[in-house]
Amino acid sequence: MDFQAYNKILICKDDIENVTVGGVTIGYQFKIKYPSYRGAFLSCIEALSFKVDGRDVPAGLVTFRLNGKDFLLSELPECFKEYWFVRTPAVIFVRQDGGIAPGEHTVNVYMRHRVPYTGYFGQYLTLDSDVTETRKAV
Amino acid sequence: MSDIKIGISLYSFSTEFIHEKLDFEGILKKAHDMGYQGVEIVAAQMVPEYPYPSDEWLAECKALLAKYELEPVCWSAYIDMGIRSDRDLTEEEIIQFTVNDLIYAKKAGFPMVRTQHAISPKIFRQMIPFCKELGVKLTIEMHHPHHPEVPVWKEYFEIMKGEGKGWLGFVPDFSIFQTMPHKLYLDQAVSFGCRPEKLAEIVELHRNHADYSVVEKGDFNDIEKHTAEEMFGKFSAPAKMEQWKDMIDCAFYMHGKFYYLDNDDHDPCIPFEEIIAEVKRLGYKGYIASEYEGHHFDETIDSEEQLRHFVALMNKNLNA
Repeated sequence: MDFQAYNKILICKDDIENVTVGGVTIGYQFKIKYPSYRGAFLSCIEALSFKVDGRDVPAGLVTFRLNGKDFLLSELPECFKEYWFVRTPAVIFVRQDGGIAPGEHTVNVYMRHRVPYTGYFGQYLTLDSDVTETRKAV
Repeated sequence: MSDIKIGISLYSFSTEFIHEKLDFEGILKKAHDMGYQGVEIVAAQMVPEYPYPSDEWLAECKALLAKYELEPVCWSAYIDMGIRSDRDLTEEEIIQFTVNDLIYAKKAGFPMVRTQHAISPKIFRQMIPFCKELGVKLTIEMHHPHHPEVPVWKEYFEIMKGEGKGWLGFVPDFSIFQTMPHKLYLDQAVSFGCRPEKLAEIVELHRNHADYSVVEKGDFNDIEKHTAEEMFGKFSAPAKMEQWKDMIDCAFYMHGKFYYLDNDDHDPCIPFEEIIAEVKRLGYKGYIASEYEGHHFDETIDSEEQLRHFVALMNKNLNA
């Protein structure tokens, strides 16, 4: 099936980092890349959700950071002028008091995305990228 | 010797690019070191700040091509009809994207833009004056599942042979001739849950032009049925060699699509022997791009090794 090998780049190899503001740890972040051979308009992301250590991360606690801007997950379908270059990681910031414990964690990313040029006979190809990796928090 | 030259779509190095083993300049250097001259760039893949690249980057791109003695052949564009969640692109938006790509191509030194079928005959025709003004040709790629008998292509050929002659053309991608599933496709199908002996059975049914209903009613699991349905549709060779003669005058460029080669002699998926013999016989002069596409299926394959097999296969057929 086309595109499937690109899922290997979805979750970046970087560590999970705790985010501290003035000595207060307010959450953690990790990086993801767009799983294709080319970049995408953010509006082509139809669904994006995360699980950490098997537990759903509530969408309201997540910020998607790209191109020097912060986006709510609910804003992505409207971002038809925002392009995600295939080599540029987006930073996923999760608000969580005290951050995440150091050590290994499983991270699951699920993305449903539309390939915007594939409507050869009227139907766009929509892909499901569902990837789980183990990453270290520092 | 043939008048046909072998070029390269830099997209062939997708694996190395997206896994950050090679950057843009590294890919240009690799193409040069491998002996390639003509290159194609897929803008949405390799151009930073796409779809609004800076003049600085476009000038740098032109300078890098000169540095590595590479001839800019084709700037590849998309008609991303489905960008928006609420509707398809409007005519005005398609024109804007196309005008922009023609300008970027000009600035980076490319004489041709390759776009996609969704541009529509009306807008394709409307682009003629701007193409002439800039001196940049505009082509549409014919890619599987499209083929010469899809109704809109009749209109496109009329425009290319008529008022767009010399400025508007097409880029046949050899996927329109693909007849058999390739090794990477089959390996991937096994990794997704097809039993090897059942998959072999499906491949035989496909080879013998069986109807998909045979699989649907047979003793196969869901992933095997899904794979068979996709295989029967995808490797169905909708184009015929006889159709070349009616369209070759509109072919400004060609995509030598391939997925996997384990030798220098033969591709069981795409009939290069027949294709090259026919386009040579019809007097095609121009580039055929090496377009390796196995990266959709397996990121562990070495693109350079694949390209070396491809160039050897092409040279064998060009010199036959």
